Amino acid sequence: MIHLPREETKLMVAVHGWSGIILGLLLYAVVLTGMVAVFAEEIGVWSAGHVAQGAAFERPIDAPLQKLARRTPAEFHEAVDVYEVGDRNLGLFFHLHETAPNGEVIERGINYQLDRSGRVVGEQRGTGEQVFGPSNDDALSHFLIDTHVQLHVPDPWGLLLTGILGLAMLVAAISGLLIHRHLFKDIFTLRRSASAVLVDRDRHSVAGTWSLPFAFILAFTGSFFSFYGTVGVPIVAMAAFGGSQEAFNETVYGSGEKPDPSPRITGSLDHIVADARGRIGQLPTFITIEQFGRADARVTTFHDPKAGGIEPVSLIYRGATGAYVRESPSIGTRPSVGGTLTAIMGPLHFGNFAGLASKSVWFGLGFAMCYVTFTGLRLWLVRRRDGGSALGWLERIVTVIGFGLPLALLGAAIGFFFTMPLGTAVFWTPASFLIVSAAAILAGFTIPTNGLLMRAHQIAIGALLVAMPPIRLLTGGPGWGAALAAGQPMIVAIDLMTFLAGVWTLWRLIAASRADNSNVSARLKPAE
Amino acid sequence: MLPRTRKWIRIGFAGPGALIVAPVIMAGMALWLPRGAAGIDNLVIPLVLVPLIWAALFFHACLDSRLSRVAIVSLGLFAVHFGLVAHNLADAEPARTETRE
Repeated sequence: MIHLPREETKLMVAVHGWSGIILGLLLYAVVLTGMVAVFAEEIGVWSAGHVAQGAAFERPIDAPLQKLARRTPAEFHEAVDVYEVGDRNLGLFFHLHETAPNGEVIERGINYQLDRSGRVVGEQRGTGEQVFGPSNDDALSHFLIDTHVQLHVPDPWGLLLTGILGLAMLVAAISGLLIHRHLFKDIFTLRRSASAVLVDRDRHSVAGTWSLPFAFILAFTGSFFSFYGTVGVPIVAMAAFGGSQEAFNETVYGSGEKPDPSPRITGSLDHIVADARGRIGQLPTFITIEQFGRADARVTTFHDPKAGGIEPVSLIYRGATGAYVRESPSIGTRPSVGGTLTAIMGPLHFGNFAGLASKSVWFGLGFAMCYVTFTGLRLWLVRRRDGGSALGWLERIVTVIGFGLPLALLGAAIGFFFTMPLGTAVFWTPASFLIVSAAAILAGFTIPTNGLLMRAHQIAIGALLVAMPPIRLLTGGPGWGAALAAGQPMIVAIDLMTFLAGVWTLWRLIAASRADNSNVSARLKPAE
Repeated sequence: MLPRTRKWIRIGFAGPGALIVAPVIMAGMALWLPRGAAGIDNLVIPLVLVPLIWAALFFHACLDSRLSRVAIVSLGLFAVHFGLVAHNLADAEPARTETRE
C-alpha cells in the first residue's frame, strides 16, 4: 500500500483523470487496435483464407535464390531478405542500404514473390517501406497494425503521437497505483448492490488494478518502439557519432568483421535452413543474407524464442561456405545487457513469446485496458455531471468513439471480405472503415439520447459479429473442414469467437432491456 | 513566491521541462555509460530507458514538496548532459575539419 499525503493524493487523482481525458480517446483507439493486432498473424490467415500446407522454408529455396540473383542488378546484392509471405509463398528482397535526406538509413531494391511451385508471381521495385506495404490478401491485418502503430498519421508524426500516448498511459498507470489507498482490498471489491456509479467505479478499479503491471509494460515498450527510430536513434547518433545513423547501425547491428569484397558463390541456403532447424528445433521465421555473392557474405536465420524463453533466437552462418558460426544475440555481436533489454522489448509488447497462450493473455489484458480507459472516461463524465457541468456533447463523443471504433473495425473486415476476391481490398478496407465511422458519427448527431445511441451501436456491433463467419464463407473463404484438414484451426476458432462474441453482445442487450421493463412495471404498480 | 506562480513553474518542469530534459539525458548517457561486452550498451540502454527517465522527471516534478529541489535536479541533469554532448561535438568538429584538410 502506498500512503501519499492528502495534497499529493489529490494531485495524483487530478493527473490520473486529466491524462486519461486529454488523450484517453486516442489512447483507447491505440489500445483497442493493439488488442486485436495481437492476433494480426492469425487474423491474416483467417481473413485471407490461407489453407496451403508446408511452410515456404520447407521447400528448396536455394535454386530460386541463385536464379533470381542472376537477373538482379549487382548493386542490389548488398543484402537479401528471405521470408514467407501470403499463402505460404516465398518473398526475396534484393536490396541496398542508402541514407535518405533526413539521415535515416533505408532499403531500396527489387522484391520477388514466388508461389508454391517456385514461379515468380510478383516483382516490385521500391524501398523496404513500399515492398512490405499492404497487399490485397493482407490488407486487413496491415490496416489493424498501421492503425495501432501510427493511427494513419504520416511519418514521423504518427509514431510521435502514439509515443506520447504511451507516455500518457505510463502516467495513468503509475498515478493509478499511487492513488490506491488499499491496493489489495481494491483488487477484490465489487459491490453489486451499490449505486450504478459505485458499481462502475468498482469495476473500473478492479480491472485497472489487475491490469496495472500490464499497462505499465505496454506503455513502456510501446513508447520505446515509437520513439526508437523517430527521435531516439537520431539523437544518440548525433551525440555519439556526430549525426551518422549509418555509423550507429554499423556499431549496433554490424558484424564487426573485416570486409572481403572478392566474389564467391554463396553456399547452399537449403543446407543452412536444415542445419538451423536441427539446432533450434524449428524453422526460421526470416533469413537475411548480407553481402550476397562475396567472400564475406553472412547469413542470419531468425527464430521464435525457444520453449520457456522470451528472447528470439538467431544463428549466424558463413555465407561463402554455409558453415555454422555461432548463436547470436538479436542485437550486438555477443550477449550484453543492452542487447538483451532491447531484444525482449518486442516479445513483451507483442505477447508472442509463448505462442497462442501468451497472445491470449495479452488479448485478455488488452480488453481489460480498453474497459478501464472507457469506463474511466465515463466515470469522469458522471462526476462532472453530478457536479452540475453539462458535458452531454463529450458523453456522446465518448459513446461514438467507444462503440463506433470497434464497429468501424468490423466494417473494415466486412469490406475486406467483399473486395478481396476482386483484388481491391487495399483500397476498400480503409474505405469501409471510414464509411462505417461516418455512419457512427452521423448517428451521434441524429439519435436523440445517449442511451439510445449506445444501444444502436451495440446492436450493430452484435449483428456484424454474428454475420462475420457467414459473410467470410459466402465470399469464398474456406469452410471449417478444409481449414481443419489444412492444419489451420485458427480459422475455425476465430469464426467461433466472433459469432459467440456477437451472440453475447446481443444477449446482454436483451437482458438489459428486460431488466429495464421489469423495473418500469415495478414502479408503475405502486403508482396504480 | 505566489502559490499560483509555483504551480505554473511545477507544471513547466513536469510538462515541457521533462520532455526537453529526458532526450538530453538520453544523448548524454551515450557518452558516459559503459560500452559493455558487445560495445553497444551505451548506445541502446539510453534508448530503452528514455520513457522511464521521462516518467521519473514528471513524477518528481509533481510530487517533490520542495520546488527548489525539482529545479536543481532537472536543471542539473540537463546542464551536465548537455555539457557532455556539446563538449563531444566540439571535440569531433576540429577532428573532422583536420581530416577534410
